[in-house]
Amino acid sequence: MLSCKEVLAHLSDYIDEESSTEIRRALEDHISWCRRCRVVFDTTRKALKIVLDVEPFEVPLAVSARLYTRLERLLSESS
Amino acid sequence: MNEYAESPNTGGEDDLALIELVLAGERRALEPLVRKHERRVFRIALAVLGNVEDAEDAMQDTFVKVFRHLDQFRRESRFTTWLTRIAVNESLQKRQARKLSVSLDESPHVESRSLPGRFEPWTADPEKLHGKREIRQLVERAIQDLPPIYRETLILRDIEEMSAGEAAEALGITVPALKSRLLRARLLLRESLSPHFEEPRQLSTRIMDSARQVGNMMKAGLTRSAGR
Repeated sequence: MLSCKEVLAHLSDYIDEESSTEIRRALEDHISWCRRCRVVFDTTRKALKIVLDVEPFEVPLAVSARLYTRLERLLSESS
Repeated sequence: MNEYAESPNTGGEDDLALIELVLAGERRALEPLVRKHERRVFRIALAVLGNVEDAEDAMQDTFVKVFRHLDQFRRESRFTTWLTRIAVNESLQKRQARKLSVSLDESPHVESRSLPGRFEPWTADPEKLHGKREIRQLVERAIQDLPPIYRETLILRDIEEMSAGEAAEALGITVPALKSRLLRARLLLRESLSPHFEEPRQLSTRIMDSARQVGNMMKAGLTRSAGR
């Protein structure tokens, strides 16, 4: 039987669906009775989903404009 | 949408067509190509460098390099993969040149900080607790607060959705090292977002849950010893 510490070490692979069948079964067995590990697994997943959903870090408009100006200049020099 | 999740032929074909046009001197193709990819490059640069000013420099240098060497782009790999590699390199070089302090040690301090300390379930609908804008700010702050080696790993894997192999190669580390950083990054992120997304619950429910947890542990212990 896996300890909570061992379960935690496999968390990332499990989320990425890269665990072996044997490990996956052992993890699922553990989280079926261990509330804390279940919460950690579930909330880590939720955190990653939120991160993807919000699409963080937009390029500030001024930064984007300066990039474009520099590239235009570069292209006109080379043509 | 990110291109990594797509098959190599979708999105990538658009890139190739645009690259051909730029190479043929069609300047109108520049804008769509840059617009499509600037965010990815900016995010990577920001992840590695940690501030907008340096990230802007790295982003400009990345695109300048890309356009100077566009004719050397080997079409068997995806444009996105090629661009990402250049963006990571430019950013890492800049970090080295600026001597921005980066603690590379995966010290016991970080290790203990990344151990879960909060065990309350999160709400199923974050927007019930915060507005969209606020959620984005919370996420951005949590990512910015991560130590750089965890921040860059998280951005490459969980936002740009590169494979572990691609991300490890881009950062010049082994896959096991990348995976170990990624685990810590995810746990640190979860920990710092937890206070904002936990389901508001009553004390009585918490006490009941704790009692159930002890019961489950005892039951599991008994099953184990009975099986011996």
